[in-house]
Amino acid sequence: MTRTGKSQAFAVAIALPLLYLAGVSPDAPAVIILLPEAHAVVGAPLTPVSAAGVARRTTRRVVVAESTATQASAANATAAQQQSATAQQQSATAQQQSATAQQQAATAQQQQAAAARPPGAPAAGAVVSALPAGCKPETKSGVEYQNCGGVYYRAAFQGNNLVYVVQ
Amino acid sequence: MHSIVHKRMTAALSRCLAIAALTTLSTAAQAQSAGIAPEAKQILKASTDFLASQQRFTADTRNTLEIVLKSGQKIEFNSTGRQSIQRPNKLRAERTGDLVDQVFVYDGKSLTLSNPDQKIYAQVPAPGTLEEMLDFARTKLDIVAPAGDLIYKNAYEILLDGVTEGIVVGEAVIEGVRCDHLAFRAPELDWQIWIQQGTQPLPRKIVITTLDLPNAPQFGITVTKWDLNPTFDATTFEFKPAAGMQQIDFVPR
Repeated sequence: MTRTGKSQAFAVAIALPLLYLAGVSPDAPAVIILLPEAHAVVGAPLTPVSAAGVARRTTRRVVVAESTATQASAANATAAQQQSATAQQQSATAQQQSATAQQQAATAQQQQAAAARPPGAPAAGAVVSALPAGCKPETKSGVEYQNCGGVYYRAAFQGNNLVYVVQ
Repeated sequence: MHSIVHKRMTAALSRCLAIAALTTLSTAAQAQSAGIAPEAKQILKASTDFLASQQRFTADTRNTLEIVLKSGQKIEFNSTGRQSIQRPNKLRAERTGDLVDQVFVYDGKSLTLSNPDQKIYAQVPAPGTLEEMLDFARTKLDIVAPAGDLIYKNAYEILLDGVTEGIVVGEAVIEGVRCDHLAFRAPELDWQIWIQQGTQPLPRKIVITTLDLPNAPQFGITVTKWDLNPTFDATTFEFKPAAGMQQIDFVPR
């Protein structure tokens, strides 16, 4: 992936939380390209002016690009959930009629995924910078988790930033 | 008619000024291409040496951070901070602002990062000196400790690492304090520092320009107050979670 690609990916990851924080409508088309020191917002160095600083910036970009990927997978998960809901309806109908090969394949995939986790759930260990909508706090053995449609997240610091790790 | 003549004169004057400005710029550019001006090095070294010799101090800061929207529009966020340092192994840094409400505490044994607003904190064992702790925080936890680079005893070498050009811009007044204004260039970033003149050459302002992002956003810190003889008490470098705070982990790097 090129640097530009990373920056853009980076942008997507940060856009929503930042816009919320900034009081800007999240519906606004503007997607934020955050400068590395933005994490400095969250972790303001008195001066990142050093070779170490440059290395740090590079790291940040990579990290956030990764969390973008997981966010994308979370988005895919939502889409997949919707699709599977549709697929269930379709398969109910299909049972009365004759199921098409495509529908069977979709159902098979869905059953496979549903074995342990909700269909399309992000992988355990994935890191996201914002929780999906509709999460509820749940405490298990004294540890607080966020239950987001059956997928559990736990808050953690990634560098100076608060993130959520898929359990 | 008079108006037209006036406009022409104004236009001619503008051209002259533009040429003058270009000439000045090219002179500055020539000066820069000569590397780092010895005087710039000297002023910076005096400042980092002075700070390294201070055993206890606090710095109150005002921080600005620009972000760039996809449209190219820049938005600025503000925060204020207080850094308390006691060499060789204590630090507390607090920041509050638009995007952040964070406390960083290092007591010589462990470091704690806390977001009081969100009622969360994380704590890990840390090395025994400020410099080692800062290295640890940066390389193992990806934490940028506020006030980081300047605290190192070898801050001068760290700051100039990778710098290709440096000049003394001139004199300036920051927060009512007369300063020398220095400007440096390094790959991917430009930075400027304003250093107090006189017997206490403290850094008063730093601006970092990120060159490898569109519209070159800037990050700035102005020190609104230095205290070189602060009063610290038992709680300054101690972290005790408030009631209801949840302990979380650091994501391993």
